[in-house]
Formats: sequence, C-alpha cells, structure tokens
Amino acid sequence: MKPDALLEDLKNVAIASQNTVQSQGWQAKLELDFIHKYGRTVLAHRRHVGPLTVQRPFYPEGEVCHVYVLHPPSGVVAGDCLTMDINAAADSAALVTTPAAGKFYSSDGKLAQQQVALTVAANAALEWLPQETIIYESARVASELRLELAAGARFIGWEIFALGRPAANEGFTLGEVGMNWHIFRAGELFYRERLMIDAQAFAANWGLNGHSACGTLFACPATVLQLGAVQQFIGESAGCGVTLIDDMLICRALDSRADRLRDFFQHVWRILRPDVVQRDACAPRIWAT
Amino acid sequence: MVTDLALLRLLQLVSPGLPIGMYCYSQGLERAVDDGWLSNASDTDEWLNGLMQTCLTRIDLPILARLYDAWEYANIESVEYWSRTLTACRETSELRAEDRHTGQALARLLHSMDITGMQPWIRKPEATLATIFAFAAVKWGVPKRETATGYLWSWLENQVLCAVKLVPLGQVAGQRLLTELAGKIPALVNEALSIADHDIGGSAFGLALASSRHEMQYSRLFRS
Repeated sequence: MKPDALLEDLKNVAIASQNTVQSQGWQAKLELDFIHKYGRTVLAHRRHVGPLTVQRPFYPEGEVCHVYVLHPPSGVVAGDCLTMDINAAADSAALVTTPAAGKFYSSDGKLAQQQVALTVAANAALEWLPQETIIYESARVASELRLELAAGARFIGWEIFALGRPAANEGFTLGEVGMNWHIFRAGELFYRERLMIDAQAFAANWGLNGHSACGTLFACPATVLQLGAVQQFIGESAGCGVTLIDDMLICRALDSRADRLRDFFQHVWRILRPDVVQRDACAPRIWAT
Repeated sequence: MVTDLALLRLLQLVSPGLPIGMYCYSQGLERAVDDGWLSNASDTDEWLNGLMQTCLTRIDLPILARLYDAWEYANIESVEYWSRTLTACRETSELRAEDRHTGQALARLLHSMDITGMQPWIRKPEATLATIFAFAAVKWGVPKRETATGYLWSWLENQVLCAVKLVPLGQVAGQRLLTELAGKIPALVNEALSIADHDIGGSAFGLALASSRHEMQYSRLFRS
C-alpha cells in the first residue's frame, strides 16, 4: 500500500465529513459492488455518503480484489449510523478489511448503529475481515450483520469486539452492545444470533465470563476436514471452540486481550482459506503494520 | 383454567420419565463444568438463571407460543416456518441435533400412542422439541400459558438433574436450586408471551462456546 494514497483518502474523508456532519450524528453509507471482468474482480460500483469510504482497490494476489474500508477518522459516537452494503456478483472474489480497529466511543445515552449487508452470488467469494471493533465503556451500540449467500457462494467473515479498554483499567459496567447476525442461504433463514452484552452478560459465566474480547468467525462451505483442522489447532487451549452446521463452520473465542484474539482468528483464517476460498492465504499487508 | 385431565397430560409431557432421551443432553453444561466455569451451586444458579432469562424466554417460549397457535389453526406452513426459525437460533451443531432428536422421538412416541397426524414428523428436520411439544399440548387441551410454563419447567428440571450429576451437587442442593429458579418462571412466561416477532432471539456467548467445546470434548457422558 502506498502511504500517500492512504493520506489522500483520509483527506477526502475529512472533507466529506465536514460536508455531511449533522447534529444527529453521521449518517454514513458505503456501497460496493464487485464483478468479475477480464479475468479479475473489479470494483464496478462504489458510492459513499459521509465519512465512510474505501481506498482504491489493489491486487496483491492477482485476480482477487483487496479493499480497505476507512471508518470515520474520529471514530463513531452516539447518534451515528454507519451502513455498508457489499455485493459480490457471480464469479467475483473480494477481500475487505480495515486498516485499523473501529472505535465506538462513550455515549450520552443515544445509540450508535452499524448495519452491514453482505451478498454473495453463486461461485463468488467474499472475505469480510475487519480489524477488531473497540467499544468504549458506556458506549451504546447496535451492530447488525446480514449475510445472504447464494447456493455455491464462498464466504469467510468475522466480527471481533473489544469491550472497554482493559489497558486503561476500564471495565464494561455501563455500556450496552447488541450484535445481530442473520445468515440467509438461497433466501432461507439459516442462522440467527442475537447477542446483548451489558454489565451482567459481560461478567456472567453464561456470557463473556469477564473477558474483554470476544469474536466469531463464519466460513462456508466447509467440511469435517476443516472442522478437524481447526479443532486440532485449538487443541487444549481454553476459551475457543468450533462447530460445523451443515457446511457452515463457526468458530468462537474469548480472550482478555483483543490482539491475541485477532491473531487467533487470523490463524484460523489461514487454515481455512485454501479450502473455503480455494486460494492460499495472502494476508493483507496492513495487518502487519 | 386448566382442567384436571389437561393438567395430568401436561404432567406426563414434562416428566423426566417421558421416553424421548432428554437425560442424554446437558446443553453445554458438561463442558462448562469441565472447563471450570461452574463449580458450585451458586455458579450453577447464575448459569441457569442467565439461560432462562436470555435464551429460553427470548427464543424457545415465544416460538413455542407461535407453534401452539399454528397447530391450533392447523396452519402447517406456519408450524414449519417457526420450527425453522427456532432451529436457526441454535448456534451449534449439537444443539440443533438435540432439538431434532428429541422432537422426532416425541413425534414417534405420540404416533405409537395412536395419536394421528404425527407420522410425517418422525423424520422431518423441522420436528424440534418445541414443535411436537406444542402439538401434544394442543391435542390434549393444555392452555397456552400452562404449555409454556411446563416447557420451561421441564428444561429447568433436566438441567438441574445434569448439574447434580456433573458439578456435582447434593440432592438437597439440587432441589433448593429448582425451587428458587422455578419461582422465576411465571414472570418469565409473562415476558415471553408478550415478545413481538422482530424481538425474538437471545444468545448467550458462554452457552454457544461451551456447546462448541463440548463437541470436541474427549471423554463425555452427555450428547450435548
């Protein structure tokens, strides 16, 4: 990645921010459509409103289109609403990540919202691998992810949350985070997870058991071979588990540190990618910085 | 008001003696104990209380009530829709398998007792426990609220029996826990019956994680 390109994009974001700021908070929206054309995947449509945008795509592994989504540079606060709509059309292959952790700041009571809709067509592959989302103590956040997979679609995606900032001695006694996953396969509801984390769920043994970071990874299509490989990687380590529902692999983990959790999920992604997306792992360079 | 006969039918339906294999399933409890998350009566109380409030009241009971209505109006399409929605809310392969096995076992049992209408459900993937439990309740004239109360009680009793074996707890400690937690059931049933369609859903990260980890537990007594 060229640092000047990032700088230029950040500048554009800042300008866009000035133009769209409202007293109600950001209403930022991003639409991305990937299509297969001339032997590789191109970003055929890109539209953004407010301080949510992408850098120009690049191709570190040939045909797969890598894209970095840039969050509002100042983080997300109460009243903001971020909407992302990402489509991978037939035969396309795209990897979407973020250059830094997303941040949701403390709230005066209003909700900050993030709504992500991912649609993957037949024989397309989409990887949704944002860096972790940091949720400050007393933030109120509603995060929705809606995934629509056509028959024959390939997908790996995760959501990693860091609650409070343990390094700053922050707990999570006032905040409230709702996380919803809806997965549809060929139009039918396949999976629905509705997690509400408040002080009670954060501390309880049925919730996060006091861990400040939690994450879930979904990968499809997977088989018992990939399930076995991830189980073997997990081995005896505490706080992580994996299951296979039909051909959807779901891996979850808890940790007291978000950076360790991110490394864990990146490793699981490396194990799964060759079979699920049928490409060797090619980690976005931004992850190493 | 529940009639004497309907009450007796409900007692039969919620009995741990009902041969549908409920005693085989711990719903992640076995792994949670093995991992040291639960080691005494107060941890068990926290775990069960949390699951009752978060999952059962927000998933099973509101969907059970919709299944009850669907059976009452013989609306099979709606029965299948809510059964699939319930399955979608189960976060692991083991939890889905448990629901299917116990649901199909109850359908088979009712069919063997010459209750008509159950044969197609013996092999249907949509036959969750709540699906067939609601069918039996409607068939036997058990009112909706009592059906939900009985369902939650039977879940709780089964979990406490598991905890007595696994944690382990003494028999008296188990009964004390059951008495205390059952006291919360009426209010939870009220809450569950007032939940709107779009608010259905409630996950517990610890349950999903314990159940995923149970699937790879080396030595185990329970099937979930």
